[in-house]
Amino acid sequence: MNVDAKAPKKQKIQIDNAPGKKRKRSASLDVRKARAGWIFILPFLIGFVLIYLPIIFDSIKYSFHEIKILVGGGYELEWVGWKNYSDAILVDTSFVTTLVSGLKQLILDIPSIVLFSLFVAIILNQKIAGRAAFRAIFFIPVILTTGLISDIDAGNTMNEYMGNAEGIDDGSGQESAATEIVSVMDVERLFSNMMIGTEIVEYVVSLVNNIFNIINRCGVQMLIFLSGLQSISPAIYESCSIDGASGWETFWKITLPMVSPMILVNSIYTVIDAFTSADNQVMAYISTVYEEANGNVLSSAMSWMYFLVVILIIAAVAGILGSFVFYQRRD
Amino acid sequence: MTSPTIKKETKNKIRVEFERTPLLERLKAKFINLYTVKRVVWYLFRFLLLLGISYVILFPFFTKISSSFMSPEDFVDVTVRLIPRHPTLDTYKAVIVDNKYFEALLNTFILSLTCGLIQTFICCFVGYGFAKFKFKFNDLLFLLVIFTMVVPHATLQLSLFMEFRYFDVLGIVNFLGGGVIDSVKILESTSINMINTNAPLYILSFTGLGFKNGLFIFLMRQFFKGIPDELEESAYLDGSGVFRTFFSIIIPLSVTMMITVFMFSFCWQWTDNFYTELFYTTSGDILLPDIIKVPKSLDTNYAGQALYTSAIRNTCGILILFPLIILYLFGQRYIVQGIERSGITG
Repeated sequence: MNVDAKAPKKQKIQIDNAPGKKRKRSASLDVRKARAGWIFILPFLIGFVLIYLPIIFDSIKYSFHEIKILVGGGYELEWVGWKNYSDAILVDTSFVTTLVSGLKQLILDIPSIVLFSLFVAIILNQKIAGRAAFRAIFFIPVILTTGLISDIDAGNTMNEYMGNAEGIDDGSGQESAATEIVSVMDVERLFSNMMIGTEIVEYVVSLVNNIFNIINRCGVQMLIFLSGLQSISPAIYESCSIDGASGWETFWKITLPMVSPMILVNSIYTVIDAFTSADNQVMAYISTVYEEANGNVLSSAMSWMYFLVVILIIAAVAGILGSFVFYQRRD
Repeated sequence: MTSPTIKKETKNKIRVEFERTPLLERLKAKFINLYTVKRVVWYLFRFLLLLGISYVILFPFFTKISSSFMSPEDFVDVTVRLIPRHPTLDTYKAVIVDNKYFEALLNTFILSLTCGLIQTFICCFVGYGFAKFKFKFNDLLFLLVIFTMVVPHATLQLSLFMEFRYFDVLGIVNFLGGGVIDSVKILESTSINMINTNAPLYILSFTGLGFKNGLFIFLMRQFFKGIPDELEESAYLDGSGVFRTFFSIIIPLSVTMMITVFMFSFCWQWTDNFYTELFYTTSGDILLPDIIKVPKSLDTNYAGQALYTSAIRNTCGILILFPLIILYLFGQRYIVQGIERSGITG
């Protein structure tokens, strides 16, 4: 193990001092601590080497193969080279379009989720009546609206039905245009004179209509921002207010730089979370491909391509935001 | 200004009345100015915003609860929206009896509790290793943790299934089963089939590879980084070993954080449908995802079918969430505290 790197050096000095005598000397504290460190991370290391790496390797391998499951309890692989990849791009009609629209959605989602969670975290960090209750409510989605429940909610006609107080429903549960929180037409009329372009208006309208989704996906980010806000020393705010800074100035000069590392972490987390969640359209498409023919290798090829694209996005986000991040120098 | 009038005088006390501005004017000066108005408006705005968002969060739960009590007639009655006219428990009864709710509950409880406990402990252990010990490749190995977080498990769907359908570590099982040398045949087959058992999830938990375990390790590492080194150094000086220090000093300190991580892992395992669909086929034990279906005894074939089916699904959701809601009511303050103390910094 590489942790013993320091040990031979010390042994050598010892030999110089007393030649011919071999004495066992217990390792220094640093070396012993390093060894203990290896023991602590051992479970993860074993899992990574023995289970995770083979899985990753297999997944890449499968994406180049055709799989046939044998009757006796085994399977056969047939090498097909890049065929799965080219099939995904060229033969499958909807993969590329799904990928492009999914990525567009992802890029639009990042700022809205990060800004919304920052905003809510700042409000939840201030003194307000019933703060504890609000916090408890805001963290409900993190814990409860995951997996199965978001599955149930995804096709839930009940919410729209009950949320819609007027209009006679025929019982089919079909969502009518009137049930949307903000009618696109109204807002467009409102903003049409402001010359800000229809794309922005549509973006804002889609944000308002998806507020439930956004809130649901903000939980962990909110927690991270909240902990970041609380690590800012109150003394800084105090000296600011003594110097006569307004709340607005304090936000831009103190709060924002201090939470900028958290903005980076959260942006990356949002990307990861959005793209690993089962309800994003690309993932949904990949899993339908997987289920179509049980164990379709096409899905492996697709998800590896998707993974590469998202890694590029993460790198881009980290690169862009990384240059704006302010790290407080610790003494 | 007139001199103050003496109101009452005793031997060593004197009460004097000054001329003061009237109370109304004083209050006016205090409260009707831009600063106060701005603060009140901001306070109200904040409060209303939080209320609104809370409503958005809680509304689905409310619809779930109210629709689960509705009888079939209520779904075709257009005058019934939020409050059932003919409250009934039939939906609950049907789901509990027909879909074997309690059996699923017990199975899922055992699974989630075991996974939650293992994951909490392992992530605590690994996180401590990454936070407090300097060894070669520390940062590089931590990047691997992040890597396991970044690769979506759906990417690995097929190979995860294959790994545990034909489970084998370093070819040992294959060797014992006679896959390499024919004369050595201790086991029946050349691989272990773990599908339909809890083993795959336990193994993933034990090695810190379970659902979002990368995040847990990250949270734990940040938390331990916030604990001052001097604490452990003084323990070492007193002759305590690394592990004793960990178990008798660090663990008691990190109970809040551990409860947070436990709640995350327990609840996420509880509502998980990715792994349960992957590792359990229909012939296996009944778990909570299996109960989401229309019970046989309920007749949904009428005008309000879409809504009624949706209500039944929501009832299943309520039944699934019920234990978690109780857990959350007790545990939510630990989550908030735990995260607050972790002091995550980039």
